[in-house]
Amino acid sequence: MIPEQPVYLEDKVDEIRQSGRLAYRSTALPTWCPGCGYYSMTEGLVNALTELRIKGEDTVIVSGIGCASRFPFFMDTYGFHTLHGRALPVATGVKVANDKLTVVAVGGDGDGFAIGCGHIPHAARRNVNITYLLFDNGIYGLTKGQVSPTSATGFITPTSPFQNRDAPLNPLLMLLSYGASWVGQAYAGWPHHLTQLIRQALEHPGFSYLHVLSPCVTFDKTDRTYQNLDLAVRELDADHDSSDMAAAMRAAADTNTPTLGLYYAEKRETLGQALDLIAARAAGAQRIKRATTRHRQRKTPA
Amino acid sequence: MAKQTDIQISICGSAGDGTIAVGDIFKRAMARAGYRVIAFDHYPAEIRGFGKCISRTRISTNQVYSMKSYSDVLVSLNDLHAIPHVGEVRDYGAIIYDSAPMSAVAEGAHISGHLMPGHLPYALPIRELSELATGANRSRNIVALGFIAGLYQLPQQAFHQAIAAKFETKAPAVADTALAAFDSGFKSGSSTYKFDDVQIDHSRARKNGGEVRMMTGNGAIAHGCLEAGIETFFGYPITPATGIMERLAVEMPRRGGRLVQTEDEIAAISATIGAGYAGARAATATSGPGLALMAEMLGLGVMAEVPAVVFVSQRGGPSTGMPTKTEQSDLNLAVWGGHGDARRIVLAPTNVEGCRRCAARAFEMAEKFQVPVIVLIDLYLSNRYETVFLQGEDNFLPKNWQRVDSGAPGDNYRRYELTADGLSPRCVPGEAGGIYTATGLEHDEYGHPNDSPDVHSLMSEKRHEKLRDAMKYPGINFTKRFGDKGKIDVGLLAWGSTFGEALEAVLLAREEGIRCAAMKVVMMSPLPARPILRFCNDCQQVLVPELNYTGQFANLVSGELGRPVTRVSHATGAPMDINYLLTAIRNAAKQKLRNKTTTSNPTKA
Repeated sequence: MIPEQPVYLEDKVDEIRQSGRLAYRSTALPTWCPGCGYYSMTEGLVNALTELRIKGEDTVIVSGIGCASRFPFFMDTYGFHTLHGRALPVATGVKVANDKLTVVAVGGDGDGFAIGCGHIPHAARRNVNITYLLFDNGIYGLTKGQVSPTSATGFITPTSPFQNRDAPLNPLLMLLSYGASWVGQAYAGWPHHLTQLIRQALEHPGFSYLHVLSPCVTFDKTDRTYQNLDLAVRELDADHDSSDMAAAMRAAADTNTPTLGLYYAEKRETLGQALDLIAARAAGAQRIKRATTRHRQRKTPA
Repeated sequence: MAKQTDIQISICGSAGDGTIAVGDIFKRAMARAGYRVIAFDHYPAEIRGFGKCISRTRISTNQVYSMKSYSDVLVSLNDLHAIPHVGEVRDYGAIIYDSAPMSAVAEGAHISGHLMPGHLPYALPIRELSELATGANRSRNIVALGFIAGLYQLPQQAFHQAIAAKFETKAPAVADTALAAFDSGFKSGSSTYKFDDVQIDHSRARKNGGEVRMMTGNGAIAHGCLEAGIETFFGYPITPATGIMERLAVEMPRRGGRLVQTEDEIAAISATIGAGYAGARAATATSGPGLALMAEMLGLGVMAEVPAVVFVSQRGGPSTGMPTKTEQSDLNLAVWGGHGDARRIVLAPTNVEGCRRCAARAFEMAEKFQVPVIVLIDLYLSNRYETVFLQGEDNFLPKNWQRVDSGAPGDNYRRYELTADGLSPRCVPGEAGGIYTATGLEHDEYGHPNDSPDVHSLMSEKRHEKLRDAMKYPGINFTKRFGDKGKIDVGLLAWGSTFGEALEAVLLAREEGIRCAAMKVVMMSPLPARPILRFCNDCQQVLVPELNYTGQFANLVSGELGRPVTRVSHATGAPMDINYLLTAIRNAAKQKLRNKTTTSNPTKA
């Protein structure tokens, strides 16, 4: 049934706000296209933060540039919309400056795996205690549909008019080999599953990487559509052991049927813990050094 | 009455001879003995091999501002490297060399054949003395040091202490060997008849030598950072700035600070901006190539109004250029680098003490004006040793940005509020009521993306005008005039490490009767145009000496003031040559004389 008068979202914002469903959401309306997979990610993060009772003022969402990177504007948390590819080092700086904050880095496949790819291994190996939500739609949406590092071979776009001949990256396999201490994959079409994985990622002490498959409804009508992804994805085997790196890598290597769930998780020293340890050692080293100096001074000839 | 002491000693050898090490002991011993010391080493870009090393140290009883253009004493530990430097020794100065080198020497390859009539040679069996004293020839450098100390009757104890301190972390035998070698050289020096006229008078040295600190520019920057309470540092190794990070890596954790070596310079500045956004005192350090990589992120710092401090030590460029040679060729990049109208603060200290002061004030200014601050030095200043007198440590301010008064609810907080002075109350994550999203997009007062014409022009104005008060920030002299007052013939407008040479040249020119003065400019951006223009208006001729090819500071000044200046550019990779500068002053003074003659006698023209 079509209403006689069109209903605009702007007119409904106050009403929806009062209902309490918009905690963590700012009054700014998302600039994403209707049907974009990024809406379910916003919803997923909002729900996860609500469930974990993390306050907006204690949360910082750091992003780069791209459709996904507009994310912080739509959230009622502290946000930093930075430069193309630089979300991870900026997020590292925020976390090093204040360990008490919950820091979430968000970005797309171009932001993370093209221009910003050099930063990922280092955030992973340092085990910075942040969550990296990577929204992978296999396309450059904000510049109107060019090929990306995760686009399929054969994909036709304005910058690959004769088909993309480059092989796509395998982000999960990369992150596993980089030493990320938490690696998972979710799908924008499974919002409840996505929420649960975001929640687990936020709870993980260390660098957590969540790869989220998402369609670009505007510029990709052929490859990564809801229809295709719905048919392709399946959940990780129920007996998958998330402490088994080899099993995680086998699952990640199967790109024909993207499997969703927690691939791998381990607990190890985070960057914050390492820096605290260094500070403790430095405090001890100072005492040792003084003792040596005194000892040596006695031996100095007059 | 003995003259004021003002002596420069050069020690020249091949990489591996211990040239720099022995120069280090010498300057520390002289500082211990109460002299003022300025020292600058020349070393190759390679760790091993047979590159040339020279350690030059100037010691004096009065304040001096730069290295001298000539040396009083030259010590050769390797004749092939030292021969080209024989000419830098003044008449009646001393040259000390090994009289019995290890192997037969080809004709012309021994330094004794290259001395000039005015030079006074001391042929010393350096290798032999080292072998006799220590059983090995490794201590030739220390023997030569002992000889200098003995010849000029320098206090033996200060040297013993400096040697013990140098080898403190090694096995005790190392220090014992060095002391034996030193004593053997000292004995030889004391029993040698001194027939040069180099005088080192230690009755005039400061008696309370203990309070003096020897520091390099890099060390002084680290010192300033610690005094200012630096909390986070992110860096990537690059000559000649690495020393800052190495020093902070030791000192910061002791004070609860956090230091991370990042994967590149882009990550270093990104993390610094991130930490600044989160409210920490954050800094990074790099050289020209790293600054080029940081340019984009500095623009974000300007746009999102995030405090950050970037220390930049320039080296020869472009590209990899001359990593171990000095140059002042990154001024354009520091002041204008990046895209868009991204005005930032750039401070360029002129000496080691200034490095400490600017480093500490940079944190205060970055916070107060909510903008990245670049502290621009060069390799010469980074690596130059100076004695610093820390009389009455300055009180650097703790965090002092204007905070938000009331806990305004999230969406009503105007992070980029337009105020009279352009500075908006700032909140940091973790503070309730101040929730906002910082962005590199043009934004309105709330921080919401907005590209309307009004917003862009108002916000551009805010980002520029808020820096106007930076020129009045207390605690640093952003410009200062030295030399003759009032109307003068020649004025030198100098910046950075070159100012020392400029002032020395002005002092020499005044002795020749030329009316001249030098002005140092410490703030490069925003440029304090008014005092500079006043100075220029007092001068018949304005010379701008600097270590680059294009005259970057001259371009900056003449562009800002709309007044022509004369470039005295010197791009060789070495510090400014005082004689070159003195000649330029003399020529400018003569030029002025000719102009006067022409104007006063127009008929004769």
